[in-house]
Amino acid sequence: LKMSSSVSVSVEVPLENLVQEITYDGMELLQQPLTMSESLAKLAQRIDFCGQDEDGGAGSGSATAGSSNENGDIKEEDANGEGGPDANFKTAQSWPWESVRNKIRSALTELSVFGDILTIAQKKQYMVLDPVQADPSDTKPPAVLMYKKKALQAASQVLLSGCERLRASMNEAKSRPSLATLDFHIELLRLRQNWRLRKVGNAILGDLSYRTAGSRFPQGGIFEVTKAEDDSEDGNADSQSTSSQPQPPPPKPCSALRVTVPNELQGIAYIHVHVQKDQDTLSFANIGLPAPAPLDAHWQQRLEAAQNVLFCKELFSVLAREAVALHSMPIPPLVVGNQITATLFPGILLIIGLCHSITGKGQSPPAVSSKLDHNHVLEHSLHQLLREVHRTNSHIPLPHPATAPIGISRKRRLGGPCAYDRQTLLNMTKKEGILEEIIKQSQHVILRLRAMYFLDTLAKEIKDPLLVAHWASINAVTHSCVRITLVSSGYDMCARTQLVIHIKEKSLKAILKDGKAINLSYEPQELKDLLLCQIAIHQIMALQSLSKCLGWTVLSSCTHLGVGNCESTGNAAGCMLTSPNGKRILAVRSSPQAFMPAPSIQVFIGYPPNAKYTTQQNNNNNSAIPMEVDDVSAATTLGFEGMDLTAGVKYKSIRLDKLEGKNFLNKMEMLMAVLADVS
Amino acid sequence: MDGLEPTAKQTELHQSLSAIDTLTSAMKSNVVPNQEYLLQGSILDSGVDILLHRLRGLCDNTDVGLESFHDHEACFVLFNPAAQQSQPLTLRVRKAVDDTAAPWHLRYMGQPELGDKNRPTMVRSVLDIGVGSDIVEFLKELGCRREFDFITKGFIFRKGRLKIIVGKLYRSEAGKAPHELEPVSGSHYVEMSVVTPTGQDIVGEDMRNLAEQIKPLVNLDKVDHRRLP
Repeated sequence: LKMSSSVSVSVEVPLENLVQEITYDGMELLQQPLTMSESLAKLAQRIDFCGQDEDGGAGSGSATAGSSNENGDIKEEDANGEGGPDANFKTAQSWPWESVRNKIRSALTELSVFGDILTIAQKKQYMVLDPVQADPSDTKPPAVLMYKKKALQAASQVLLSGCERLRASMNEAKSRPSLATLDFHIELLRLRQNWRLRKVGNAILGDLSYRTAGSRFPQGGIFEVTKAEDDSEDGNADSQSTSSQPQPPPPKPCSALRVTVPNELQGIAYIHVHVQKDQDTLSFANIGLPAPAPLDAHWQQRLEAAQNVLFCKELFSVLAREAVALHSMPIPPLVVGNQITATLFPGILLIIGLCHSITGKGQSPPAVSSKLDHNHVLEHSLHQLLREVHRTNSHIPLPHPATAPIGISRKRRLGGPCAYDRQTLLNMTKKEGILEEIIKQSQHVILRLRAMYFLDTLAKEIKDPLLVAHWASINAVTHSCVRITLVSSGYDMCARTQLVIHIKEKSLKAILKDGKAINLSYEPQELKDLLLCQIAIHQIMALQSLSKCLGWTVLSSCTHLGVGNCESTGNAAGCMLTSPNGKRILAVRSSPQAFMPAPSIQVFIGYPPNAKYTTQQNNNNNSAIPMEVDDVSAATTLGFEGMDLTAGVKYKSIRLDKLEGKNFLNKMEMLMAVLADVS
Repeated sequence: MDGLEPTAKQTELHQSLSAIDTLTSAMKSNVVPNQEYLLQGSILDSGVDILLHRLRGLCDNTDVGLESFHDHEACFVLFNPAAQQSQPLTLRVRKAVDDTAAPWHLRYMGQPELGDKNRPTMVRSVLDIGVGSDIVEFLKELGCRREFDFITKGFIFRKGRLKIIVGKLYRSEAGKAPHELEPVSGSHYVEMSVVTPTGQDIVGEDMRNLAEQIKPLVNLDKVDHRRLP
C-alpha cells in the first residue's frame, strides 16, 4: 500500500454536555452549558473574603471589582428574595452573589462611618477633637534639686536643734564648778568597766562579791549606784553639814555618782596574823588596807575597801570553821570572838584575828617593830590559800573521753578501773584545810628563824673554825635548806667540813658529808649539840689533812672517843700523829663542850720512853716543850722501835693558848714543824 | 559459849556483806546519776568557728582555753537468743586517744522516755562506767559482737553541770595516721547533755535557756532517733 499522508488528528474539548435526563422516547436532554453570567457567578462563589488564599484573593479581587458594577441592581432586587441561610456559608447558598454582596455591604458601612466621622471632625460644629496630652514622665532637674534641698534642710534643722541643746547643757555644766567635767554617764561607763552592774527596775545594782570566781560565801556584796545629789554650792558649808561636830567644809564630790555599800561591809578590815612566844612577838603580818578610806572617797576606793572587807570576813569564817573541826593537833585551836589561837610549839602561839573598823579611823596595828622580813609570806599565803579554794570550786577538769560524766576529779575516775578500796577512796577525799596549812607554814617560819638566829650567834662566837652558812635562795613554804661549811681560816683548801640541814615544819634533818642523816626535833638544843660535835670533829679532821702535808703519820683517829672524860654533850674526837722521824707523838683530843668558852682541845706530846728532859727555864714562855732533849736523842736514835714498851710513852700536855698561831691549825702546824725537827 | 551471841567477827562479816545492800539502797534513793537529758543539733563546717567563739563566751573556764578531745568509740551488740522480739542490748566503749592515761568508758544508753511532748529535752536512762582497756576482750567473751566504730574529734565546754560537745565524726580505719582521718560528713554535731539522778526535771529549763542563746547558729532540739532514716 502506499503511504497515506498524515492523519489529521483533531483535538477537541469534550464539549459534550452532561446528560441531564433521558426521556422515555430516547431523547437525551442535555444539560445546558453555563452561560457567561452563570459561570461568573460560580467563580464569585469561590471568592474567599477572609483573605486566606492570596492567589485566589488577588484573582477574585479583580473579579469582585468587575462583578460589582454588573450586579449592583441585581443585588437590590434579590436581597429580599433570596433569604438563604447565611449561617451555612459553606454549603450552597441560595444566591451565589450573597457573600459578595454581604462583604461589600459591610465595607460600605465602615467607609461611610469613616466618612461621617471625618466630616464631623472637620466641621467642628458638633464635635471637636482635641489632642490628649500624656503625663510628663520625668520632672525637670531643677525641680528635683529643689525637693532634695528642702528635705535636707528639714533634717539638718532637727540635728542642729539637738546639738544646740547639748552645747547649752555642756556650757552650763562647765560654768558650774562642782560637778567639774564629769558626767554621770561617763562615770557609769568607767564603773561598768571595773565592776559588774545590772539594772533592776529603776535602780542600778552591782555585785562586788567573789561569787563568780568560785566563792561560796553566803554573805553577798550588793551595792547600789545613784546619782550624786548636787550639794548646795553656797560658801557656808556649816549650815548644810549634817554632822554634829564642826567640820571643815566637805571636799567637793569628785564624781557624779555615789555608791552605797551594804552596812556590814563598810569601813576597813584586815586579818592580823601574830606569832607570840610568851609575851614577845616573833612575826606578824597585816592583811588588808592599812590606810582608812574616808567616806566620800572615790567610788573605786570605797568599793575596793568593801570587797576587801568581804574577803577578810570569808577568810576568817573559813579559818574559824576549820579551827572548830580540827582534831589532828594535840592542842586544838581556840576560837574566841574574832580571834583564833593555835599552838605551834610548846610556848609559841599563832594568833589570827579579824580586825574590822567601821568608822574609818581604825586603830593602828600594835606598834611592834618587827625587824623580821618574812611577814609577807604569811599574808600572801592566806590570800593564796583562799584563792586556791575558790579556784578548785570553779575549775573542774573536763572529762576525757568526752562522754564521761563531768564533775569528778581525775583520780577518782581511776577508782573504778583500778579497784580502789574504801579506805583509799576516803583518803582521796581528805583535803587539808587552810588553817592546817597556815599552821604548818608558821611552824616552818619559826624553825627557820630560830635556826638562822642560832647559826648567826654561833658564827659570831666561835672564831676558830669559821662557820659559813649558805641558805638556799629558792625554797618551798614548808621546806628550807642551808649548807654549813666549817673552815679554818688560812687552811680552807685542806680542811673543810660540810653539812646540809633541811628545815621542815616540825623537824630538822642534817645530812653529813659521809652520808649520815640525822633527824633532829624542833628543840633548839639539838641543833646546837650537833654543830658543836661537828666543830670538834672538824678540828681533828683538819689536823689529819694538815699532817699529810707536813709528813706526819696518823697513828689512829676516832671521831667518837670512848676514852677520857665523859662529855656532857656528844662525844669527843681524837687522833694520834707521829713525826716523820718517829721521835715524837702528838695526841689530840677535841671535845664539844659548851661554846663559852671555846670547845676545849687538849694536845699532848708523846715522848719515847726513857726520855729525860730538863725542865729548865723554858718557863719563860711557859711552854712545856722540852726543846733541849739532846740526851734523849742518844737513847732514842732508834725512835720508838726496839724500846721497852712496858716503860710507856710519856705524854706531856700543851697549853694551846700560849702557842703562837691565830687558830688551832696554825698552832698545830707550828708545833709539828718544831717537833719534826727534833733529832 | 558463843553460840547464841554473834561474835565480833560475824558482825564484821555481816557488815561487809551489806555492800550489796548499800548499792541497792543507793540505787533506790536517787543518788546514782542515771538519767540523761539531751539536746542535739548540727552545724556546717563553715559556721563552726563562730559557734566556738560564742560558746567560749557563754561557758565557764574562760581563762583555760579551748578543751579539745579526740576519742575512738566502738559499739557492741549483744543479742538475746531467748527472747527474739526484744531489742538487742547495745553497749558503747569509748577511749580517749589523746589521753592514754585516762580510763576507758563503757556506756549503756536506754530508749528515750516517751514522756509528755512539752518537755524541752530528750530523756533517757544511761549508765556510765569507768573500765580498763581489757573491756573489749571481756565483751567479746560475753558474746557481744562489734558493730561499728568511729573516731570523733572536737571541743568540749561546760556551764555549771551542762556539758556541750561540738564534734566531728571520722571513719575509723586501721593503719591510718591521725592526720589522714576521713570525715563522714561536712558538718559538726552539737550535743548538750546533763546526767543527773531521777527527778531533776528543772535542768531541762536551764538547757533550753542555753540553747536559746546559740539559736541562730545551731538549732538544738530533741531528735527522735526512731524516726531517722
